[in-house]
Amino acid sequence: MDARDIRSQIETVDTLPTIPSILRKLLAVIEKPKISINEIGSFIANDPVLTSRVLKVVNSPIYGFPGRISSLNQALILLGLNVVRGMLLGVSVFEAMQKTMVGLWEHSLGCAIASRIIAKKKGLKEPEEISIAGLLHDIGKVVMGLKFPDEYALAVGDAQKSEVFMIDAERKHFNITHADAGGWISLKWNFPQNLVEPIEYHHKPHLSKNVPLQTAIVHFADIMTRAAGFGFSGDNFVPAVHPSVWPVLGLSDAELKEIIQEFEESLGQAEDFLLSDE
Amino acid sequence: MKRVLIDRLKPGMKLAKPVVNDAGMILIGEGTLLTGTHINRLENMSISSVFVEGTSGPAKTKEELIAELDARFRKTEDEPYMSTLKRIMKEVIEGMNG
Ligand SMILES: [Fe+2]
Ligand SMILES: [Fe+2]
Repeated sequence: MDARDIRSQIETVDTLPTIPSILRKLLAVIEKPKISINEIGSFIANDPVLTSRVLKVVNSPIYGFPGRISSLNQALILLGLNVVRGMLLGVSVFEAMQKTMVGLWEHSLGCAIASRIIAKKKGLKEPEEISIAGLLHDIGKVVMGLKFPDEYALAVGDAQKSEVFMIDAERKHFNITHADAGGWISLKWNFPQNLVEPIEYHHKPHLSKNVPLQTAIVHFADIMTRAAGFGFSGDNFVPAVHPSVWPVLGLSDAELKEIIQEFEESLGQAEDFLLSDE
Repeated sequence: MKRVLIDRLKPGMKLAKPVVNDAGMILIGEGTLLTGTHINRLENMSISSVFVEGTSGPAKTKEELIAELDARFRKTEDEPYMSTLKRIMKEVIEGMNG
């Protein structure tokens, strides 16, 4: 298959019968360019499972808000439209993530947490938005797994057997990677620019033109999550930090240590969150 | 003891209550360490969750954690900045309680 072929196939992923029904409904809502927070609010409120998941995520270490947020309205006001849209996508692909790869949800949560912690340390204004980029950074794996379930499973098995990076197994089987697929689908789904580039370039952070710092953060958050051994994203190796990222992040050893310490603590709490009942 | 949804079970978790069918027959006994095969079987049954012990399996020692860290870094530790990252990860593990 050539890359253009795969791209057009990936872009039709929302028409698959196997796509989670909640995601299908959600896409119909969020693909509208001008959606109001009230529309999103009533969409969530109409679905009790979605409401409880949203509240769970809001109260999870992904955000680290002090105190408990118990109402949906309060959550919407706190997080704002962009974050809520992204988070809804994250919770709607939860099952599909677990199907593609057991542990991918945990990996994504870990990356969301690490992204927020780094963003906060760098003094960025919207650490929650970057955590959403972290949550969705590997969405390409989900859409590849949904669109080409057999071939993707082969690639996953291959990465395991030959002990290679998942991304290299993807290249071998598809000539494209989950980062390409993630970039295409985020454009198709009208994601904002500050999500598209971190998703598309999280393995090639030097290519991000509009949001290089955000992309560098997600790139490094992915590496931190794998270094911590939290979740599973297709292989058990820590990929190398792209050399361009280090000066962009500009972290001293002491700052990096504080980040990793806070990350490990949050992961401890995240384990409880992951295993607790719906 | 925690109730865990079937799709969040991981191999190595220990059943805190037996899994029984509608007739009350025990299918998987209390105390069983779940394997991938058990989990696949559970996925094909009409139950949504089971009870397992603890939070996430047995706690690991620092030595085990560091051995795993070494294994994860083995492909890339000679790349730029990776030794710094690994050293700091190690320091954090050494500094953990317990
Ligand atoms: Fe990735
Ligand atoms: Fe990743």
